[in-house]
Amino acid sequence: MAILKIQQVEKSYGKIKALKGVSFDVPEGSVFGILGPNGSGKTTLLSIILDVLKADKGDYLWFGEPGSPEIRKQIGSLLETPNFYHYLSAVNNLRITQSINERGNEEDIAAVLKKVKLFERRNNRFSTYSLGMKQRLAVGAALLGSPRILVLDEPTNGLDPVGIAEMRELIKELHQQGFTIIMASHLLDEVEKVCTHVAILKTGELVTHGQVDEILVDEDIIEVGAADVHQLAEALASLHGHNKIIKDGQLLHIYYNKGEAKPEQINSFCFKHGITLYHLVHRKKRLEAKFFELTGN
Amino acid sequence: MLKILKTEWLKIRNYPAFWLVMATTALSYPGINLLFWNEYKEITKKELATGKMIKMLLGNPFAFPDTFHTTAFFSSIFVFIPAIVVMLLITNEYTYKTNRQNIIDGWSRNHFILGKFFDVALITLLVTLLYAVIAYIIGMLATESIVSSDIWKEAKYIPLFMLQTFSQLSIAFLIGFLVKKAFIALGVFVFYSVILENAAAGIARQKFHDLGRFLPLEISDRLIPVPAFIGRIDEKGYTEKLASINTHIVYTIILTALVWAVIYLVNKKRDL
Repeated sequence: MAILKIQQVEKSYGKIKALKGVSFDVPEGSVFGILGPNGSGKTTLLSIILDVLKADKGDYLWFGEPGSPEIRKQIGSLLETPNFYHYLSAVNNLRITQSINERGNEEDIAAVLKKVKLFERRNNRFSTYSLGMKQRLAVGAALLGSPRILVLDEPTNGLDPVGIAEMRELIKELHQQGFTIIMASHLLDEVEKVCTHVAILKTGELVTHGQVDEILVDEDIIEVGAADVHQLAEALASLHGHNKIIKDGQLLHIYYNKGEAKPEQINSFCFKHGITLYHLVHRKKRLEAKFFELTGN
Repeated sequence: MLKILKTEWLKIRNYPAFWLVMATTALSYPGINLLFWNEYKEITKKELATGKMIKMLLGNPFAFPDTFHTTAFFSSIFVFIPAIVVMLLITNEYTYKTNRQNIIDGWSRNHFILGKFFDVALITLLVTLLYAVIAYIIGMLATESIVSSDIWKEAKYIPLFMLQTFSQLSIAFLIGFLVKKAFIALGVFVFYSVILENAAAGIARQKFHDLGRFLPLEISDRLIPVPAFIGRIDEKGYTEKLASINTHIVYTIILTALVWAVIYLVNKKRDL
């Protein structure tokens, strides 16, 4: 069942078209990654589904209904930067969040502050926090009172490597608990690790969407390496059955249609041409490669 | 409704600037009135005939029942002080982007504006309460022989002061709401209220058949005309101003309703 249906959403800022008729569904219980280069419309799209921006055309439905305050109360959100009252402490900021979204109680505030490791600094003003702490507080606010859905825009912004790893684990944990998570991110590696579904945007257009596994397995890649990479490239030029060969440093990537790659044949082909391979790996396509291919970067 | 009030109170309760500005208001209102009262006492205590004459001419503007009028007039000069906090409360929301966070967290845009309406109403109430208490205390101190039936004769200035304050704070809020930046909004409000509108009203009074009475702040300024002792300089004009209070009540209500209607419509349509 789709928890969110986005239908032909369009949005312009003056002459700039930020979104050009974007449509896709977010299945319940998924971790849905929205990817795209800067200016592709990720934050605009999230802002529209959270009613911060008004779409020029198109619509979106949460649980089959148009967005409303009651629905947003069930969504924990972090949009762009952490937005809090600078003169208030973490506790008082979360009290305001709780007073608006009506989720949980005072104990939940303490629990969530412990979860994001801000409990010791709970009575300090927000303005005294580091960027990472501000981001953690925003994540805490989104988690407050167990929302049904999480919408996270660049949730690892400002976090150190440990914080990023913790965020990844948290997302996985929440996914296992049945939460639906929609996240926009630049960190393709992170998205690949945690997302079950993905939508890729480019200059306001939806380039592709679907399950991560389905998107990534439309091609097989054989990675090969030899002492003389130029000789290897010349030899492989007469190899048949592949789609393309791309040089990547001292390695060559040979692209095949899904299920057509045969590493043992490549090995014997090279051996016949007097080349000994020191590297031969059958890889599934990485999200990063797919992303660059689709977005033309 | 109560939840919105509670949330706004959570925002204000620990906001140092709010308490600082309210403390300044709490000092400035009695300050200006005590200053003029002392001046009055200085002038009229003289044993010479001039002192007695002045007292005879002026009466005692700080005694009951005139104290409510006189104190309202002098207190209203300082409306820009609570206006500062009103503008800060709205511009803060844009600076910290908490206006959008409130919506994301589950308020409707109407809830947000209703919350701010409550802020303006709350500050108006506090300021009016402060003025009324000061007027009463000064009245008690300045009246030589208190006649209980006289005390509240001019108490109509309490709701008039409240309406004037609410209207002018609403205009301050509108400026903050449209400009979004605290210092620019404060500058615009002070420049407009102190210089621009006074100049425009003055020119209009002389050249355009007093059209200046329809200027945004002037409309509600005329709810509290100059006190009687100053008004006696131009008795005819003073009587006219007293007679126009009821008309200006209507104008002020219409203007204030328009201000909030503009805020409501802009907030409903604009991106956050």
